[in-house]
Amino acid sequence: MHMHKYEKGWLAFGGSMIVIFLVVLGIGAFTMGMAPPGSHTHAIDPERIKETAPFDKPGLRHLGDNEYEAVMIGQAFGYLPENMEVPVGAKVNFIVTSPDVVHGFAIPGTNVNLMVVPGEVNHLSHTFNEPGTYLVICNEYCGIGHEFMKTTIVVK
Amino acid sequence: MSDKKPPEPSLKGTLAAVMLLGLFIACSWIAVFVLFVSRGS
Repeated sequence: MHMHKYEKGWLAFGGSMIVIFLVVLGIGAFTMGMAPPGSHTHAIDPERIKETAPFDKPGLRHLGDNEYEAVMIGQAFGYLPENMEVPVGAKVNFIVTSPDVVHGFAIPGTNVNLMVVPGEVNHLSHTFNEPGTYLVICNEYCGIGHEFMKTTIVVK
Repeated sequence: MSDKKPPEPSLKGTLAAVMLLGLFIACSWIAVFVLFVSRGS
């Protein structure tokens, strides 16, 4: 089959672009832990969240060395616990689930953006290097009170 | 029947269009990736 030399050129360009993107993502994911949040190995019965550890006691726990674990519930229409406070530089491991419908869990201006799905426990870690008040919002339409679903994390 | 091949069409304009689109895709990908990395994880 005859192919114009320009055609060979742009096919090579497009093909190498895909390969480079995938290699960069692969290196990031497998050596630097830049994987998207999510896990399908931590299923939970959404009707028994209030009795299932650790969601029977949602809250912020100090793990030491400026590392915290935030066990959170996203539900219609808010988050538990509300208004958390951590020091600057704290690494917070979020562990979130939902007892009712799909919610979002996003902190604008950061890479924290995960889905809160009933029956699944979602995990994400974030290090808060800048002081300030961080807004946590639901970005998955979850019902009539969706726009009121928020909480704040104060970093100081 | 002659052995003469038909003249090749000029694909200069097509090359320019494809490369502009390709550069646009590459630049957007790099911009999003840099934003992701700069925000930390």
